[in-house]
Amino acid sequence: MSDSVTIRPANELDLDAIIAIDEKLSGQYRPDIWERRLTYYLRRDPDSSVVAEADGELLGFMLGEVRSGEFGQEEATGWIEVVGVDPDHRGRSVGRELASAMLDHFRRRGAAKVRTFVDAEREDLSAFFASLGFQPATLRPLVMAL
Amino acid sequence: MRTRSTTLPKHFHDAVVRWRDTYLTDFPFLMESWDKYFPNDRRFELCAYREVGICNEIECGEHKGQPKRTVAADLSSEQAHHLLSAIKAQASTEFGSIQQHREVLARAPEEEEQVWILRMMAEELRHGYQMLHLLVEDDWSSVSQQSSADFVEEILSMTTGSHVLGAFNIAFDSFLDSIVFCAMIDRVGKYQLTLQGVSAYKPMAESMPPMLREEAFHLAAGVVPLRRWVQQAAAGEPYVSMAALQHTLNKWISRAVEMFGDERGGASNVRMGLKPIKNSEAQAQYYAEVEKVVRDLNLRYVRAKRPELSRVEAEAALEALHKEGTVQHGIQPEELLRVPHLGFFRRRGMAAFTMVGAQGETFEDVEEYLRYLCRNLPEAYLAGRDFKDYTLALRKVAAGEMTAEEASRQMPALRRVGGACQCSRAVRWVRDEPAVKLESQAQA
Repeated sequence: MSDSVTIRPANELDLDAIIAIDEKLSGQYRPDIWERRLTYYLRRDPDSSVVAEADGELLGFMLGEVRSGEFGQEEATGWIEVVGVDPDHRGRSVGRELASAMLDHFRRRGAAKVRTFVDAEREDLSAFFASLGFQPATLRPLVMAL
Repeated sequence: MRTRSTTLPKHFHDAVVRWRDTYLTDFPFLMESWDKYFPNDRRFELCAYREVGICNEIECGEHKGQPKRTVAADLSSEQAHHLLSAIKAQASTEFGSIQQHREVLARAPEEEEQVWILRMMAEELRHGYQMLHLLVEDDWSSVSQQSSADFVEEILSMTTGSHVLGAFNIAFDSFLDSIVFCAMIDRVGKYQLTLQGVSAYKPMAESMPPMLREEAFHLAAGVVPLRRWVQQAAAGEPYVSMAALQHTLNKWISRAVEMFGDERGGASNVRMGLKPIKNSEAQAQYYAEVEKVVRDLNLRYVRAKRPELSRVEAEAALEALHKEGTVQHGIQPEELLRVPHLGFFRRRGMAAFTMVGAQGETFEDVEEYLRYLCRNLPEAYLAGRDFKDYTLALRKVAAGEMTAEEASRQMPALRRVGGACQCSRAVRWVRDEPAVKLESQAQA
């Protein structure tokens, strides 16, 4: 990764850049969703969610937090919930650096495990998390149409 | 990150609770609404938090590298004087903002926005409590004759008009003030907390990280509703307009830049290890940040008004609107928000009582400038005492009857006279020299 890339906690000034990265990835402009979502993480634990930037440009973001009580898992657990890397800056280990900072924070908050959900069709994401050391868990997502 | 919590001695804690019952009357509503709007968030607690494991060495100034001081008695007299003023000023802002927000809280258009502001108010109360904790826990007798009870009474008896910093003495006219205040004035607070986070006085430095974490939400509680309002303005909703937003930005940003203190000052704080950068440097960083907020708001506006444009097209249109000043995709340049010039509507610092327009244009005639201000500030604000006193002072400066410095000092403040009792109605506008001195000390 370039020496000029820095990782820092996300803040409300990052909203527009996060919206832009999501738009590049999803093809949708969804400001309302990201305004609500980022506010959620900022009020819960603003040090937890992180962004990568270089020369004033946001390259990627990772949102998550430590919580307990999910799916019967009472222990404090770090959850990586959203990750987005600007497609123009892939290959610079941005995601890995973001994860490294977030996992450090989770450890400081007392989490012994970190969990995430990945769409099985997103092989790139599965490979990314596997490269970080994530392994398949016994907890399986189930879904049913209503 | 680890914190330890503590509470004030019971009689002081109870005094803050009584203050809360007086000025934060919607606190029970916040608690009732907590699980609806902030499910699973740690519930609010009135206490002081201190961060564990911060840097133990002084990080700047002439004592850099030495151990941080843990008690006021170990500070030099000059350090202790500055610090005591800074703690009082910080405490004053925390309690003061609650008194401002409460006046318009009920006017929030959406319950969510109302509860966000309410949570912010409760957390500001905790920040004020945190500062009282610093005043009460240590012995400041080396630089002050005041007892702990005096400190608490002094801070808790302040009201809108008698607070240390100017921005906290201006009444809110609408809920728009609440939102812009969070986005712009709390942003100054973020800078002050960040700068004080390196304080050579360890209890101060330990107090900042927990406050800063809460401040992150306060800024979002301003910026996110602003973004939504801009979108509604673009949609042509009649109850909000870009002009109203601009006028409110003009009202508050001119006060915000003054909160960093005189642009020529701040070196002594750096030398004493209380802050890492001077006033002008902090002000410049703040101003750049505000420019980004406003730029993002404008992009939100362009995209909301012309949803058929791609991001790249919208950004190009925004740039052309600014640089060329010509209509782009049916959007007039005048529709966009602009950050007022640093010299606009100033009453303190280097630009105090200079007649500078929002875009940096200068005025020679005082009446023309006042008419210009009337066109560029919120109408409800113009009818208040704050603007009237500015007007009187500016006319005197323009006529050569007083200097700008004298005018800065003579801006009047509300004072409680005849006792500090909460129920006292003996509050009058007075010109009180010590209040001004306290501000300059706090910002030195």
